[in-house]
Amino acid sequence: MRIALRELRRRPSRFATATTILALIAVLLLFLGGLLDGLVRDATGALRAQDADLVVYSSTARDSFFRSRITPEERARVEAVDGVEAVGGLGVALLGGRVPGNGPRDLADLAVFGYELPPDGVGDPPAPGEGYADEVLRDDGIEVGTEVLVGPARTPVTVVGFVADTNFSGQGSLWVAADTWRSVQNANRPDATVGPGVFQSLVVQAAGGVDPATLAGAIDDATGGATRTLTLDEAVAALPGVEQQQSVFNQIIGVTVVVAIVVVALFFALLTVERTALYGVLKAIGARSRTLFAGVVTQALLVTVVASAIGTALAVALDLAVPAGAIPFVLTPSRVLASVAVLLLASVLGCAFSLRRVLRIDPAAAIGSAP
Amino acid sequence: MSDPTTDDTTDPAEPSLVLEDVRKVYRMGDSDVVALDHATLEVAGDEIVALVGPSGSGKTTLCSIAGGILSPTEGRVVVGGEEISDYSPKQLTTFRQDKVGFVFQAVNLVPFLTARENLLVVDELGRRRGAPARQRADQLLEELGLSARAKNLPGQLSGGERQRVAIGRALMNDPALVLFDEPTSALDTKLGEAVMELIQTEMKSRGIAAIVVTHDERMVHYADRVAHILDGRLRA
Amino acid sequence: MFLALREMRRTKARFGLVVAAVALLVFLIFIQLTLQNGLLTAFVGAIRNQSAPVLVYSVDGRRNLQGSVITPPLEAAITAVPEVGRAGRIGEGTFTATVDGDLADVALVGYEAEGLGSPTALTAGRFPERDGEVVANEADADLGLGLGDTVALEPGGLELTVVGQAEDINLQVTPTLFTTYDTYVAAVRSVNPDARDPLPNAIALTPAEGVTPDQLSAAVNAADPEADALPRAAAADETPGVAQVRQSFQVIFLLYALVVPLVTGLFFLIITFQKANALTLLRAVGAPARRLVAALLVQVVIVMAAGIALGTALYAPLSVQRVGSIPLRFETRAVVVWTVVLMLLGVLSSLFSARRVLRIDPVEATTGAGVQV
Repeated sequence: MRIALRELRRRPSRFATATTILALIAVLLLFLGGLLDGLVRDATGALRAQDADLVVYSSTARDSFFRSRITPEERARVEAVDGVEAVGGLGVALLGGRVPGNGPRDLADLAVFGYELPPDGVGDPPAPGEGYADEVLRDDGIEVGTEVLVGPARTPVTVVGFVADTNFSGQGSLWVAADTWRSVQNANRPDATVGPGVFQSLVVQAAGGVDPATLAGAIDDATGGATRTLTLDEAVAALPGVEQQQSVFNQIIGVTVVVAIVVVALFFALLTVERTALYGVLKAIGARSRTLFAGVVTQALLVTVVASAIGTALAVALDLAVPAGAIPFVLTPSRVLASVAVLLLASVLGCAFSLRRVLRIDPAAAIGSAP
Repeated sequence: MSDPTTDDTTDPAEPSLVLEDVRKVYRMGDSDVVALDHATLEVAGDEIVALVGPSGSGKTTLCSIAGGILSPTEGRVVVGGEEISDYSPKQLTTFRQDKVGFVFQAVNLVPFLTARENLLVVDELGRRRGAPARQRADQLLEELGLSARAKNLPGQLSGGERQRVAIGRALMNDPALVLFDEPTSALDTKLGEAVMELIQTEMKSRGIAAIVVTHDERMVHYADRVAHILDGRLRA
Repeated sequence: MFLALREMRRTKARFGLVVAAVALLVFLIFIQLTLQNGLLTAFVGAIRNQSAPVLVYSVDGRRNLQGSVITPPLEAAITAVPEVGRAGRIGEGTFTATVDGDLADVALVGYEAEGLGSPTALTAGRFPERDGEVVANEADADLGLGLGDTVALEPGGLELTVVGQAEDINLQVTPTLFTTYDTYVAAVRSVNPDARDPLPNAIALTPAEGVTPDQLSAAVNAADPEADALPRAAAADETPGVAQVRQSFQVIFLLYALVVPLVTGLFFLIITFQKANALTLLRAVGAPARRLVAALLVQVVIVMAAGIALGTALYAPLSVQRVGSIPLRFETRAVVVWTVVLMLLGVLSSLFSARRVLRIDPVEATTGAGVQV
């Protein structure tokens, strides 16, 4: 083990190429993962933030806010279901917002949410004409006190505070009272007006001890099939593109990890071939195969750790270099840890290709052989 | 092991190596090849034996069996009072760590380790002793006249110095027997003689037995005794 | 040549491994290129492959057909611009429809006149002539949107019949049907009887004679600050998300393009170091350095070619699949371009090894220098 470490220290250059390749692969993994995280985060924040167990859509809405309408009558039926603790209406309008001081064509992308039950980190519904803005809208020059003119009808909403990680469909959320949302929606989307008391969907808190999945069925029964109720996780996954993005990205990440395994396998297999004579000698003077292989694994792990560190640094640099909003890329500690763990696993697997060779080296070869 | 220089696990009266009727047969395809045929050899506790024979004669096999790298097909092998004839490969590995020293033909130092670290490799492979091992390495380097070169890499040492580091490595575990595999083959006569002289001095002063494999008749007079081997048969 | 091939045959495993690594990387590059193109086509194909040279959105739409609403005053201001040749309304909406017995999302694009927002070209059938007739995306035929198929919009049950097919006319990764503006309005009303008549989402324009699409766009934008006019290609490229997808994939391709030559470079450098003794010997017995370098390059080319061929073979069957609702296709041009680029990078990467070969001094064979481990 010490020998392996000393070799790394004395001859860092012979490990440089492998480290560089693995560092690039680490950047790739982090970039792909960060991109996925960013896409999913910006698409799902508003739903993930909901302090609720279930989301209720119209049964014809295909799990989408925009085609869903829940009437006050349907809502009353939902509220009457046993095990329902609290029900809140939810509606969203995706619109452009004019921020004072910005150019006439420079609009902020807004997801205006009307709500009743406060999501995590969001206060009680603000006064009419006021709203809490998501942090990302600061990039558009929005501050506390800014009066944003929403949509072509220029419906004014004054920002009275900020919330975090509540984005929807890649747009910055603006949380307003239900009536504010209705007036924004009706003024700006004449094709999709909502009547008094109507919401696009409902969020439901289950009473303590009630299984949300069972409750979802009870709700849909109570409305006579007019609704389709999803658990919060199901609703997040049902948002357009979320599942496809995850499966596509995870497949790409998977193949990239296989490349990492091949790189490690190739590199250490070649290194082992190079060391055949040395290993023969060490075995003759009493080294066990286990000790020698442990040395190989140690080197692979250390190379991977260094490569991961470089890769992470590069990914962070990339994150800083990319202008805000250009690419939906977020680098979370959990993504970094998961990627590094996967790479470490890949490096151990890659080493396994050298195991047989290390085992097969015959100490007898050290004797009677010319250099 | 309080003082490694005075500690002597081998009693000169007790033989360091006993080979009794040792046979080694390799299977090559359908036929058996006898590499060593009923070899019997006894090496005294501080004796230096030159093993001479042409290539393919069985020198290497005998050396490997005496050093616990190979197990004999038949016969008894006792090294430093320990019978190893029926040892498993695992037991042989431990045995090699404790009882024998090797100096290989190509010297074969670890190229990225200093002279001192090459000696300490032996300690790292077996049960770690730490400080006593470092003490012993320093002492051996001093005795071999290498103190000033302790921090040099093999690439920075002369051929003779590398040879001495290799001898130092072989002595690290205070072996009962040291096996030298063609130590002079790559050297000219003058340097070869110097190396043989060094082997003689170091082994005799420590009272450690040695087998020196060579095909160079000019070197055999440094040994106490010469054993000839031809076609797997030993003529002592 | 003989030397190069002989060595590869003797050490199949190690060359196999590097070929596998190159193949996987090539496969990844190709599949992601295809994904990118498939994604973008599924996202904005309807914009790219519609016939109007210029589209005008409202500024509030943020270059998104669905988000854009053209108010009557804006429409009047646009059509009054002198550079305008012809103008027509475009309406767009996403609906739930019963397709082949199941509920599915469909997007409906209504246009007033052929050449003003209709699909550029049909691959089968004809353009809609009567109410309730639509043109569907060719690749969606197996979803139940083939020629002659009928879908019903929900709720309301308005029936639409596919009478024509066109290539790559989807919008927002949703099966898209092109129809007459009147049918579009009827569709909006059928699902929500309370709705007022929808306003158009965009105005399709053709330039007057002697006016380029760029000039027309500039003129419209100058005429009304609420108008956001874009030539067709720009309208597709500046749809929100398109640039993001492009940039993201560019970073990914750049990284892969770096990894491939590094892997091959590393491999050949290591085997060159390993062969140093043999190469020295060959030099000593009179092999010209040139020949040894040539052998190396032959191996590089073989490894790269085998890797690319294998990667393409892996990619080919996948390239004609669908990922979710995104149809993919074999990108011949991308395969050719990347093959050339990767070949060059592979050969470049082996130059380090070539330098090492050239530096070998045949004298070392006799002195034994370099033999010491």
